Amino acid sequence: MAEAHQQIYLEDKLKEVRESGRLEYRSKALPTWCPGCGYFAMAGGVPAALNSLGIAPQDTVVVSGIGCSSRFPFFVNTYGFHTLHGRVLPVATGIKVANDALTVIAVGGDGDGFAIGGGHVPHAARRNIDITYLLFDNGIYGLTKGQTSPTSAIGFRTPTSPYTNPDQPLNPLLMVLAYGATWVGQAFAGHPQQLEELIRQAIAHRGFSYLHILSPCVTFDKTDKTYDRLEQRVRSLPANHDPQDFAAAMRQAMDVETPPMGLLYVNERPTLADALDGIVVKAGGAEKRARKVAKAA
Amino acid sequence: MAAVGKHHVIIGGGISGSQAADTLRTLDPDSRITLITLSRLPVYNRYDLPQVFRGRQDWRDFLVQPPEYYRRSRISLRRATRVANVDATRRIITLAHNEELRYDTLLVASGGRGYLPEELAEFLPLLDSFTSFEDAVTVRRRLPEGGHVIMIGGDMIGLDLARTMVETGHRVTLVAGPQTFWPHRLEAGERKQFLAVLAKMGMQVVESEAHGNIETIEPGAKGMPARRIVFGDNTDLRADSIMAFCGLVPSVEFMLGSGVDIERGLLVSRSLRTTNEAIYAAGDVCQIWDQDEKRYRFYYGWKNVRAMGELAARNIVGGDEPWSSNQDESLRVQENGSLYSPFWEYA
Amino acid sequence: MTRPAKETPSTDIQVAICGSAGEGTIAAGDILRSALAEAGYRIISFDTYPPEIRGFGKCIARLRVTTEQAYSLKQQSDVLIALNDEHAIPHIGEVRDFGAVIYDGHSIAKLPEGGHVSGHLRAGQLPYPVSLRELCEKATGGNRSRNIVALGFLAGVYQLPKDAFLRIITKKFGKKPGVAEQNQAAFETGYTVGEAAFRLDDVVFGAPKRDAATRDVVMINGNAATVRGAVDAGIDCFFGYPITPATSIMERLASEMPKHGKRLLQTEDEISAIAATIGAGYTGARAATATSGPGLSLMQEMLGLGVIAEVPSVVFVSQRGGPSTGMPTKTEQSDLSAAVHGGHGDAQKIVIAPTNVEGCYRCGGKAFEMAEAYQTPVVVLLDLYLSNRYETVQFGARPPFEANCSKPRAKAAPGEPYRRFALTEDFVSPRALPGEPGAMHTITGLEHNELGRPNDQGDMHERMSKKRHEKLKAALKHPDFTHCKRFGDEGRIKVGMLAWGSTFGECLEAMFKARAEGIPCAAMKVVMLSPFPVEPVSAFMDDCDVVLVPEVNYEGQFARLIQGELGRPVVSLARVPGVPLPVDEILETIRRLAASGPRDAARLVRAA
Repeated sequence: MAEAHQQIYLEDKLKEVRESGRLEYRSKALPTWCPGCGYFAMAGGVPAALNSLGIAPQDTVVVSGIGCSSRFPFFVNTYGFHTLHGRVLPVATGIKVANDALTVIAVGGDGDGFAIGGGHVPHAARRNIDITYLLFDNGIYGLTKGQTSPTSAIGFRTPTSPYTNPDQPLNPLLMVLAYGATWVGQAFAGHPQQLEELIRQAIAHRGFSYLHILSPCVTFDKTDKTYDRLEQRVRSLPANHDPQDFAAAMRQAMDVETPPMGLLYVNERPTLADALDGIVVKAGGAEKRARKVAKAA
Repeated sequence: MAAVGKHHVIIGGGISGSQAADTLRTLDPDSRITLITLSRLPVYNRYDLPQVFRGRQDWRDFLVQPPEYYRRSRISLRRATRVANVDATRRIITLAHNEELRYDTLLVASGGRGYLPEELAEFLPLLDSFTSFEDAVTVRRRLPEGGHVIMIGGDMIGLDLARTMVETGHRVTLVAGPQTFWPHRLEAGERKQFLAVLAKMGMQVVESEAHGNIETIEPGAKGMPARRIVFGDNTDLRADSIMAFCGLVPSVEFMLGSGVDIERGLLVSRSLRTTNEAIYAAGDVCQIWDQDEKRYRFYYGWKNVRAMGELAARNIVGGDEPWSSNQDESLRVQENGSLYSPFWEYA
Repeated sequence: MTRPAKETPSTDIQVAICGSAGEGTIAAGDILRSALAEAGYRIISFDTYPPEIRGFGKCIARLRVTTEQAYSLKQQSDVLIALNDEHAIPHIGEVRDFGAVIYDGHSIAKLPEGGHVSGHLRAGQLPYPVSLRELCEKATGGNRSRNIVALGFLAGVYQLPKDAFLRIITKKFGKKPGVAEQNQAAFETGYTVGEAAFRLDDVVFGAPKRDAATRDVVMINGNAATVRGAVDAGIDCFFGYPITPATSIMERLASEMPKHGKRLLQTEDEISAIAATIGAGYTGARAATATSGPGLSLMQEMLGLGVIAEVPSVVFVSQRGGPSTGMPTKTEQSDLSAAVHGGHGDAQKIVIAPTNVEGCYRCGGKAFEMAEAYQTPVVVLLDLYLSNRYETVQFGARPPFEANCSKPRAKAAPGEPYRRFALTEDFVSPRALPGEPGAMHTITGLEHNELGRPNDQGDMHERMSKKRHEKLKAALKHPDFTHCKRFGDEGRIKVGMLAWGSTFGECLEAMFKARAEGIPCAAMKVVMLSPFPVEPVSAFMDDCDVVLVPEVNYEGQFARLIQGELGRPVVSLARVPGVPLPVDEILETIRRLAASGPRDAARLVRAA
């Protein structure tokens, strides 16, 4: 799918990037996504957000699973770990537990995160590990050329459901809210400015932040989650939405017909690092921990 | 083992019981046989115990049968096991550790334990016992080389030990009394003669009655031998050990609830059956009807108890042979001047 | 009647304690081995929990107490303490003739015929009925310390050093007020009764040896030794998911690591455990996980990622009966193939397997050195028998582990991308860690070029596959590590054994017995299983008329590994009894091989 379209990327995007002042976050490798892919919004949004937060590229690790979106680490000039299908969150967990100083951004798609990797999301969320999870939901398996995903709509026709998809799609937002994520937002790849701002907030949040990004697959989905259709359906959160109101966030998350964009929910509670440090203090190892952290810094 | 045949239970791991088990195994190959004994050891020859003074101190040297015999002969040997009760109606034995055994036939061969005259009962803790292998080795270990032993009574089991101790360099003082030479029944005048023989054999003989009988037994004072015995006439004796050998009383307590007839021992017919048709008795525990004397009497000695065990076994599996003893019971003096008792003959 | 030959004055006694967990069986075993270790004896001890008994809670603690170094448990015990009639009865048979059986001489419950221990002793075994319950109630007012009364009795009968027991009891129960005193009283009571008991068995405890080899010894089991090795090697992070028999590694680390300021996380499954371990390894941390066979299966894909992305990680695998859920409480060595060959693709990693508890310590630490030095996953293969078996081990004053084995890293030229997978002479590339400026790079499970960028060209795959395999060869010369070692006769021998893991102890015992019978015999332990130490193993095989490979699996996995690596025939003695291979069975095979010569060897063993 990818190689043939590199040139188009070069023409359309490289110039814009060069002028943005975010070049140092950029890898020399060039994205392999199809032209018009929603993921280009991420390629722009993450460096911009890191830049504006003043987080140095060497202190950032972008971790991904397998899927179109998971190619992202190759296209940023930070540290990156392109892992296995579905395992982005546990690898990211290991990185963050081992080194608090790193900013860890997990990236993946709907299949990676909610099919094969679905078992890991609740635990990352409930532990409130201080990482950012950018979930690009295109409702399809793009890398393997268009099969049904756990967020595909009922009635969606793909090569693996030639008689159309019979299964109820998941609602990831409801799930991560229930799992105990402390920052939950939703964005649309068609609105890159809002996306960039939400990525910035998500990274800035101390705790597990989950950003659900509706992102069309222009190659394999011509009927359902297209730019046009999504553009017509997405809406802003109501002006009076209180992101600290869990019940209100749940109500908003339930609306899949007209998905709300913005920060649905935010909450502060101790992170996994706080908990682990607490254990170290209880065990009498705080001094040794402090020495180790100082040495590493 | 599948219980294809009858379950024969034998209470008592002495010569009588073990002989019965062996005979039962031969005569009733399909039966199940359980041999219950208080001892922690497989059946051994108690008559041999004086040999501990001749250097035999390993229990394996005293065994009647090697340990593997019991497996080979399919005899379930229950050691360190006391019988608490026998329910003859239900044919159930309750063991003291709270296990129940069902039997088809029961042979009681529990033998006897040392009799202690009532007036000495309070001194029991100061007396050394010699009825088990453990006792024998303990006495042997406790006695210093050439140590002094006082033997009260002096039945034939005791005298066998006494002569062994004398021969192995110990000092033995016999405090003679009514049970001396038990179970020999001596003619008037014989007693004095035999006591003299014992003295000649190297024992110091003291007639208890002549000193006003035993008044007290006490631990020896510090620096003195471990025991002291004081007589009615205030004379005393000191020794390293005091033992009493005053004959046997049958061990029948566990049979008291069984309903079988008991006088001192279990009363049995000449075919060794008790008053319960499934229960037999053999050895020192039983009194056998003597047609001539018209009374129940005991038969002692290794040969007798072994023969009784064998006879009981034969009768248990359907025989009906009467008991007859060919045991010589006469005490006499040998040509070399030492005492001889047929009770001292054991294989 | 066969009487055992007169024992040498050296002590070699095996005590088994059988009962339920609720009766303090394992606790009693623990106190006994700790006290005897403190007294200066050497100990090998292994607790088992046979599942063939209905219900749960039945367990047996076995310990072999010696003055000379021993290498395995004995097949027969010298003394059995029965804390529970039902549980102990099936195990009375393991007591040798003229050995002792200690049991409660009275049952509160009415027992059917055959329900009491006393009814099951062979005539050659010596009964020691003790009123455990009654004595315990008298001493403590309750019956919870029956196990300690029994221990006291044992100590009294055999005149074992009372002080050591009282100290261990205080240490074990000291935290709960009154409990230590209660157990001391129980012990004293048992001791007094035991002292007075007439000893009829021929079990004799000689005096313990007090010398340099027994000073500062620690009583420790394989899992605990592994943990100690890991901690001494500076483990930073641990991620794990509970699974028998590896769980106690995580449990112990959970309590130890925070004391050193280190972090442990219980993950949601084994996949996340190894994923997080590799994530942590990526940051430069010394990270590990621990699991058993089922977990190893789940981890295989991620281990492949570790191999291709060249990330250090350590996986402790304590094997149990397989496949699938198999026999979780039985020992087996059937995950060798999975560890060495498991996973898809050409994914060679380092696999090491200690053969005893001290080896667990060494491998537990050395694994981190190797993972770091060769930038690869390292699997440490333990098994249930080794994990749970206690031995007395003497630790050095300083941990024998290097704190940093990373290859010095070259800086990237300014403006040039970092060559994370640079092809070097030793095939190990410099490795920059996240946080280091100017060396940013991405690693991946895709085949990649020296920069780490995806590349599926054939020649690149050839080069990178070679790099990943060749770099491991250096591990065969990893410093201060016993890769394999020969024991027994030098020079030409009739029967040589090659063994790995816990079974090597049984092989050594069998080898010593065979040599005592005049059979020229040697045994080589192979600790390094991947990459395979072809040269020394081959040299050993040159000396042997026949090579016997005893192991606890059905397929003869180690025999196959040797044959695959060396292309030379071996005789496989592969069995899956769920317990360690009986020494006598190995010995019998040695005898037959020695008698028959190499030609008939294969046929003979097949016939067996």
